[in-house]
Amino acid sequence: MPGTKFTASVRKEASGSIIDLGGDIDRSAGVDLAAAYDDATGSGNGTDPVVLNFSQVDYINSTGIAVIVTLLAKARAEGRPLRAYGLSPHYEEIFQITRLSDFMSIHHNEPEALALT
Amino acid sequence: MVSKDDKANWSPPKPHLEVGSAPEGVNAKRVQGRRLTGPQQGFGQLWQKTYKVAISQKTPEQVIATWKAEYGRFWPSHSKFYAPVTGIQPGEVGLIKSTSGPVPLSTGVLVLYSDDVSFCYMTPEGHPFAGFITFSSHVEDPVGTMAQVQLLIRANDPAYEAGMMLFGSKAEDRMWEHTLRSLADYLGSSSPVDTKVVRVDQKRIWKNFNNLKYNGALPWARRSKGPATPPR
Repeated sequence: MPGTKFTASVRKEASGSIIDLGGDIDRSAGVDLAAAYDDATGSGNGTDPVVLNFSQVDYINSTGIAVIVTLLAKARAEGRPLRAYGLSPHYEEIFQITRLSDFMSIHHNEPEALALT
Repeated sequence: MVSKDDKANWSPPKPHLEVGSAPEGVNAKRVQGRRLTGPQQGFGQLWQKTYKVAISQKTPEQVIATWKAEYGRFWPSHSKFYAPVTGIQPGEVGLIKSTSGPVPLSTGVLVLYSDDVSFCYMTPEGHPFAGFITFSSHVEDPVGTMAQVQLLIRANDPAYEAGMMLFGSKAEDRMWEHTLRSLADYLGSSSPVDTKVVRVDQKRIWKNFNNLKYNGALPWARRSKGPATPPR
């Protein structure tokens, strides 16, 4: 199955940054996702949350989960909350199986993800 | 979110691992009923270890098909992997017996994910490390097909963290380098194994200190019938 190219773009809001993700998240997404995270956290408050928007993501495999865990570890080492929204029920379940959801709160929409303080 | 149909590639939810009938001589007590541990449920520093070797004569699909079918064959002689009866399928549990360290180890892994070009294990409580082990094959220009093992792991508790610092980390490297060397030999490649180790997070997660209670290598845990409490 041909993959869909991964994309990550950053939007900055008053209460945090949003990284809009698209395409497939697999091992090849690591560099672009790390760059987007650095862009999102580069000039803001050290504890502002970063919200990952998965609503345009087509596919995540196990190497993609590892990429997200790496990002989560980096955020937690900085004391920065990492949140998520837009996950399908299937991938929400995967986040629970892999226990990512123990450390990354999952929300229904962007206002809810940003509103949490 | 429009997801491709990959549900069959993932393990169903497993709040606690269930081991069916264990092979003779294999102690499944340290796996049965245990919860899975991702890297954030472990204790030690977070490491990403990547081992890879060129197997240019084969396609990624051929490499992974052989790897799954003959998985235990490629391990070093001091460790044995008891694959699930149904093979490496999502949701199945494989058992491990190893004498590579100072204390014999019985543990296991859940097959978290499997497709034509990769499969992934997740470790349970009591395993030396918490995290994921991903086996994959892909094409890299200009070399061709690569076989890769990537670990994203923390030592599960302080005792294993000390062990990893003293000898475990190097032993882990040797184990996977041996595995890839054996796989490459089996598939007709003599290319060298490349190892890359990155410390992703140097902080330890002290709130997970009590993972010690699941450590089957420690005397108080080894004597117990189930999850034990370390002496205070």
